[in-house]
Amino acid sequence: MLKLSKVDGLHLPDHYYLTPSDNCLFLREYVPGVGFSGGETNNLISNFKKGLDRKGRPEWRYKAVAIKQIAQELAKALNTEWVSMATLVPIPPSKTKHNQLYDDRMTQVLHQIPTLQGVNGDVRELIVQTADMPAAHTSDTRPSPDEMRAHYIIDNASADPAPRVVGLFDDLLTTGAHFRAAADLVIERFSGITIIGIFVARRIIPEIEIEWGPES
Amino acid sequence: MVQATLSLHNPESPAKSISPLRELGAYELLWAQRGASFKNIAERFAAAPELLPSDLVDEKEAREVADEVLAILTKKGVKKFGVRIHGAGEYPGKLREAMHPVELLYYRGIWELVETPCVAIVGTRRPSDGGVEDARALTAFLVKEKWTIVSGLADGIDTAAHTTAIQQEGKTIAVIGTPICDAYPSANTELQEKIAREFLLVSQVPVKRYYMQDWKLNRFFFPARNVTMSALTDATIIVEAGNTSGTLVQARAALHQGRKLFILDRCFRNPDLTWPHSYLQRGAIRVRDFSQITDTLKSAQAK
Repeated sequence: MLKLSKVDGLHLPDHYYLTPSDNCLFLREYVPGVGFSGGETNNLISNFKKGLDRKGRPEWRYKAVAIKQIAQELAKALNTEWVSMATLVPIPPSKTKHNQLYDDRMTQVLHQIPTLQGVNGDVRELIVQTADMPAAHTSDTRPSPDEMRAHYIIDNASADPAPRVVGLFDDLLTTGAHFRAAADLVIERFSGITIIGIFVARRIIPEIEIEWGPES
Repeated sequence: MVQATLSLHNPESPAKSISPLRELGAYELLWAQRGASFKNIAERFAAAPELLPSDLVDEKEAREVADEVLAILTKKGVKKFGVRIHGAGEYPGKLREAMHPVELLYYRGIWELVETPCVAIVGTRRPSDGGVEDARALTAFLVKEKWTIVSGLADGIDTAAHTTAIQQEGKTIAVIGTPICDAYPSANTELQEKIAREFLLVSQVPVKRYYMQDWKLNRFFFPARNVTMSALTDATIIVEAGNTSGTLVQARAALHQGRKLFILDRCFRNPDLTWPHSYLQRGAIRVRDFSQITDTLKSAQAK
């Protein structure tokens, strides 16, 4: 079983928008874009993020496998008591719900966690994104929290009853901009709330640019 | 009642999580204690596999030791490094096949290289000219076959293996017997830095302990790293080694861990050496042609 790791002082410099008071946990870590090895975490994340435009291709089935694996890993790593008391919230994916490429992979994972643990869970798409953004992992321009925040709103239909503890889930922790925007929005709306960021993986910034790049 | 039960649980703690810095400090503190060894530390964790280093020591003291270690690393010019901790993501399961597996190790570079097909090329620090030639030819051959070349950054065969792998545009991992911030021999400082920045540098040597004691005790970290090197790789290949060489620690470890052990033919042709024949009887493979290595490993992978 994998235990969750905490983003502490050792890794904080890799995540520009996180502060020492943020409570962020992750399962795995890797240097993205090093496609040479087909490392396990690299593969898991890229399968998980596989765009909906690949639907119907033979590779598509790996996405469902990745969703299941991630749900199982999180279900094992998280305390059932915490899952029972918390509200599990996905950080919105890059596309809005109206876009045909809208990908609810993390919502699917979150619904599986309490089921796998045999407890009642409170899973809500509490934060709604109002405009499409380029997928962060395929884009060179990284949005700032302010830019993200401008496109995030609380879904009023999901806001009642007010959550007390929110787990904000995302697949990959990069700069922390999405987490920052989402966390600040939730804190502003629900005062006194406890927020924890939970990521499938965090990306490591390597010491130098990788020159020998992807082979695949 | 339900409310009371829930309030017992800390809402800020969704899991027993691993703080890398806390564990680093705790592990270094375990190592700073009198009589600490890979063996007795591994035994404490073998007895209770769910334990983390921080479960065994005082938290405040561990934090102080972590600060101390970070200060040493910073002073010695290490700007960025990572740790692998048993139980956390990316800790390689194959390390548990070592006789006394480490709970924590330090690295710099691209960790994912340990997931590529890896072979260790090792041997004496004082090789013959022919031995160096063999090491270079073997490395070039295995790089062409897409193997990652793992070695110990020592003088002689190790250096030949690392440098040839880089020259041939292959990949290399150094598993060193000094802390992540120190190179031995010092002539390899630049090579170590290059490997750390572009490939992967691994050290299981506890930083605080290393600087608490002198070379007489620190030299035992070298054979200990050979056990880890073997565990991280699919096979060990010995190019050239004397009867009392530290390389033979890795030979023993490889067989104990169920890894393939290859010994180049030149070792058998030296009449002064007794060890090659003894390892041959215990399952090592005598290599007359490099393709024997890749053929054997390919058929092992296919199984």
